Amino acid sequence: MNTLLLLYHSYQRLCRPRQLLTASAVLLGILAHGAGASETEVSFVNDIVPVLTKAGCNAGVCHAKAGGGQNGFQLSLLGFEPAEDYESLVKQAHGRRLFPALPHHSLILRKASGQVPHGGGIRLEQNSAEYAMLQRWIEQGAAFQTGTEPKLVAVDVHPPRGLIAMKGQQQLTVTAEYSDGSLRDVTSLSLYESNAEALAEASPDGLVTTHDLPGTFAVMVRFQGKVSVFSAAVPLGAPVPNLPPPANFIDQHLFANLQQIGVPPSPLADDATFIRRVTLDIAGRLPTDSETIGFFGSSHSDRRVQLIERLLKSPSYADYFASKWVPLLKNRRDEASDITANFAFHAWVRDNLLANSPFDQIVRELLAATGTVVGNPPAAWYKRVKDPKEQLEDISQLFLGVRMQCAQCHHHPFERWSQDDYYSFAAFFSQIGRKPTGVRGEDLIFHQRGIATAQNIKTGESLRPAALGDEVGDITADEDPRLRLADWMSSKNNPYFSKALVNRYWKHFFKRGLIEPEDDIRETNPPTNPELLAALEAHFLASGFDLKELIRLITNSKAYQLSALPNEHNLADRQNYSRFYPRRLPAEVLLDAIDDLTGTTTAFANLPAGTRAIALPDNSYNKSSNFLQFFGRPNSQSVCECERVQSSSLAQSLHLINSDEIKAKLADANGRAANLAALDSSLEERVTKLYLVAFSRKPQSHELQTAVDYLRDTLLDVEGKPIDGKQALQENFQDLIWALMNSKEFLFNH
Amino acid sequence: MTRVFKTLPNNFCPGPIQRRGFMKMGLGGFTSLTLPNVLRLRAENPSPTKPKKNAVILVWQPGGCSHIDTYDPKPLAPSEYRGPFGTISTAVPGMNFTELLPMQAKIADKFSVLRSMRHGSPGHPAGTMRMLSGDQDTRDKVKPRLPDWMSVTSYLRSKAGPRATPLPPHVAFNGPASYNGPAYLGDAYSPYYITGDPAKPNFSVSNIGLSDPNEVQHLGRRATLRKNLDTLERSLDQVGELSALDEFETQAMTLLTNQQTKEAFDLSREDDQTRDRYGRNTWGQQLLMARRLIEAGVDVLTTSLRGPLCGRVQNWDDHPVNHHIFDALRFRSHAYDQAVSALIEDIYERGLSERVLVVVTGEFGRTPKVSYQPSTGAGDASAPAGSKQPGRDHWARAFSNIWAGGGIQGGQFIGATDRLGEDSIERVCHEGDFLATIYQHLGIDLTTTIDDFNGRPTPIVDRGKPITELMA
Repeated sequence: MNTLLLLYHSYQRLCRPRQLLTASAVLLGILAHGAGASETEVSFVNDIVPVLTKAGCNAGVCHAKAGGGQNGFQLSLLGFEPAEDYESLVKQAHGRRLFPALPHHSLILRKASGQVPHGGGIRLEQNSAEYAMLQRWIEQGAAFQTGTEPKLVAVDVHPPRGLIAMKGQQQLTVTAEYSDGSLRDVTSLSLYESNAEALAEASPDGLVTTHDLPGTFAVMVRFQGKVSVFSAAVPLGAPVPNLPPPANFIDQHLFANLQQIGVPPSPLADDATFIRRVTLDIAGRLPTDSETIGFFGSSHSDRRVQLIERLLKSPSYADYFASKWVPLLKNRRDEASDITANFAFHAWVRDNLLANSPFDQIVRELLAATGTVVGNPPAAWYKRVKDPKEQLEDISQLFLGVRMQCAQCHHHPFERWSQDDYYSFAAFFSQIGRKPTGVRGEDLIFHQRGIATAQNIKTGESLRPAALGDEVGDITADEDPRLRLADWMSSKNNPYFSKALVNRYWKHFFKRGLIEPEDDIRETNPPTNPELLAALEAHFLASGFDLKELIRLITNSKAYQLSALPNEHNLADRQNYSRFYPRRLPAEVLLDAIDDLTGTTTAFANLPAGTRAIALPDNSYNKSSNFLQFFGRPNSQSVCECERVQSSSLAQSLHLINSDEIKAKLADANGRAANLAALDSSLEERVTKLYLVAFSRKPQSHELQTAVDYLRDTLLDVEGKPIDGKQALQENFQDLIWALMNSKEFLFNH
Repeated sequence: MTRVFKTLPNNFCPGPIQRRGFMKMGLGGFTSLTLPNVLRLRAENPSPTKPKKNAVILVWQPGGCSHIDTYDPKPLAPSEYRGPFGTISTAVPGMNFTELLPMQAKIADKFSVLRSMRHGSPGHPAGTMRMLSGDQDTRDKVKPRLPDWMSVTSYLRSKAGPRATPLPPHVAFNGPASYNGPAYLGDAYSPYYITGDPAKPNFSVSNIGLSDPNEVQHLGRRATLRKNLDTLERSLDQVGELSALDEFETQAMTLLTNQQTKEAFDLSREDDQTRDRYGRNTWGQQLLMARRLIEAGVDVLTTSLRGPLCGRVQNWDDHPVNHHIFDALRFRSHAYDQAVSALIEDIYERGLSERVLVVVTGEFGRTPKVSYQPSTGAGDASAPAGSKQPGRDHWARAFSNIWAGGGIQGGQFIGATDRLGEDSIERVCHEGDFLATIYQHLGIDLTTTIDDFNGRPTPIVDRGKPITELMA
């Protein structure tokens, strides 16, 4: 996904000779615009800038100003600022880039065609239409405006949607529409990017080629600041028989998609898998052995529904989801004195989750917080996030799924967000007043009377608040503009707020957002299942922003309850949810699970004994816990969930296999190994208990046999004498627990 | 103590190509690590055939070294600038050092001095972040905004494929750790940290090469049991997504059980003569260990010259309130000169001078004009509390660093500062040039970008060019 952006900043991607424009491909596009090409006046904005863009001249690491502009030749990123580009090309560097007396000797042409050494290689061939076009423009006097040129209004890709077989092809056609009503074929001048290169690639000429994987993908098409998207599905075409009866609309939409692309889902997971999965996902912990036995013993047909209800009511639900939100809200301990504010803020988030406060209300209280942290804990967010720009960027990314960072300095390459949009959003945060309080580093937050404005640093214009292009009306000097923003967010027609939340929660339960990354919602990054996303949004809105209801809906779906084990058709599927995608337990959950398995606790500074890692209020505990660090507990630096690292590492493996921390837990005198060794019950019963704790299932007979045999082994000491039976048994239990802990079945939610 | 690296975070590069790659590695992974295999790992050489990649040793002077008192003497400047140290000639005609560096002076033809570093961040955090990560923000921040070049290297190398050696790619042996780090790359690209004093007889690195055969035996028993119990494992393995784990488990077991790994960390395997030559002190043995580890296959090694050898405040931050700067420099100069000159000579003698680049620098230089303040505490190289002593403050407008090995042309002095050593005036180099030179040696494409937390492709070097004179 991130490769999308990379394209626009990467030298290798854009400056590579492969994308060299060929004469024939482009000629068509250019001739289409004006008949009698040689007579037509070349327009800098409509003809020259697209050539520079397509050739990659204004890409980030080439001559884009944002990237420094190689050798002083600076163009606006992707040609968003033609006036600046004109200045740079024609006037700067003493005008040496153009040579009107001998146009073909112009530096721009000699460099781009490699007649003189060029760090970016050959970008235009001498016999290409673009080369001719540039030369003609210089011959005609290199004017900025012809005076008659129409303005670009829209770009359309044809077809907009498609169904392409594996290893198939589809040629796209792109049409630009101008203010004078004229149309122009700009297929060869447009830029193409597939959002799933594993599924399909798009050539510089707009030819889409699919590979041997089924699924859905989109190709973003860009021409001069306008974008259009081609969405397509690649069916596998396998029969999809025996779908489980849908539990709710999630299943209807999800199974419909699977039927369309011909990928049969895995069967439903068994009860053991389900109780472990859903308890980990809702409550952030392993089910206890008695919970598991009770669940197995229940004859109620709705026992899964009941389990979900019980988990949603449990305090560990609030702990777990607080541990998800609090780092994103940057509850970070930079100074020891932050502790009070951080505890208060964490408690506020947790209590709201426990009470199931409507999500729009939680966000409103946070967004419009005033007062001191002690009096009003959500004010702690403003303690942490002080810069108005960071405030707007965090709020828009976290609650709207819109990334505005780029628009601070340049028009976002794939979006409509301009610098005006950025600063008018910033204006909502312009009237935040701060007064020092008795607590070091902590301000009292209040609304500073006045008309909210923010200045566009580029144009110098003062802008009134507007929410991503939506007018919010006049705001008087006495009104806190942040309240108006909160109103706008939770209004029924807001296109982002509900979508961002349901997508974020979907990802929590399914590993992959319907839009991915989950906080990058834009036209050019379409969802894999738009109907499903829309239905979830509508449901969330209708429920009154009820978070627990959303979780209930998701976890009750058959889609969520599918097995992780692939069938013969869906092994390759990574985006259609035809099976459950396993994921490693998050750092805190894993530490708690290891404590549960080994029968120990982990001590955390200033917190009562027995405090679980998922209940930790801020990031400060990461410093003292190698475990939390290695397994990627976030440090509350970023509003992106990607700060939480879920991948494997050598440090993790070393830690699990041989760290002093794990060894101590295994050998704890009051721990599980010691306890099991001391019990009177049969070894079979004790192994069964261990399996119930670790995997929420009973051991299979061969597992039981292997384990019991191992436990019966006598151990020899250094001198070769057998060691005491009790001690040997305890050590053997430690080994058994070690073996279970180091298995994927334990480390993963599956 | 142990901090290492990871593969790509899942969200960076989803897709079946990566998955298949992992599967290939994964199937031979932890699942097959039974006792005999553990013992085999222990005995085996970790594929020594692969050509080794270029490597870098960064010797860090935390706090910032006074350029005027070391590599950029100003004998003609007024006394309140030039300080008390005499100037000596070196093996390179025209290049003079102060008298503090006689051993380096003798081998000055083996390294080059860059006298014209310059940046605008005169605080320790901002200066360190600037030099190591290229962050141009002049404010002192708690946490780095950009990943340091060491993490970037570790990240990019791990993307390039499995390693040929069981040693981690990035080791920090008492390395700089306060103001640098992997930032948005994630802690998995933090270095493998080793701390402690290698000059002490009982020094050892834990979790590396278990020496007790019983312990190895025990680990093998556990691994065998785990394999025998494996049921879900195989069916989940089909999915492939989980098998990245196997790769790291195998690496971890190798680190724990492979004898060669243990030997790489074992200084007692060096002969006495070599150990003496580096100096039988923390710094000398630290640099010797650096050379050992690099030779054994580590890609990036950082090591800081701090601690009691520096004097009272244990670093190079020679403000008059901290140290009597001249006493302090004299106090630490012998160990410094000996260790650095030994490392440079050794790199050449052992044929590592092409593959291994050695860079010695701090975050900035020190104020050319000497100031006086009451000392805040007695101790090594510091006058009794309250008595006035000379010092120099932070100075980022001009400072020096030295470069050896890495195929560079030794015996050069590049760039120059003005008459008083206050400003770099010739061939001014910035942090971008510094980083670009290092990346170039490591074979890393300077135009590489890495997505930050916001998905913004961020260049690894912003506006820097390799210092070509070094390569001449």
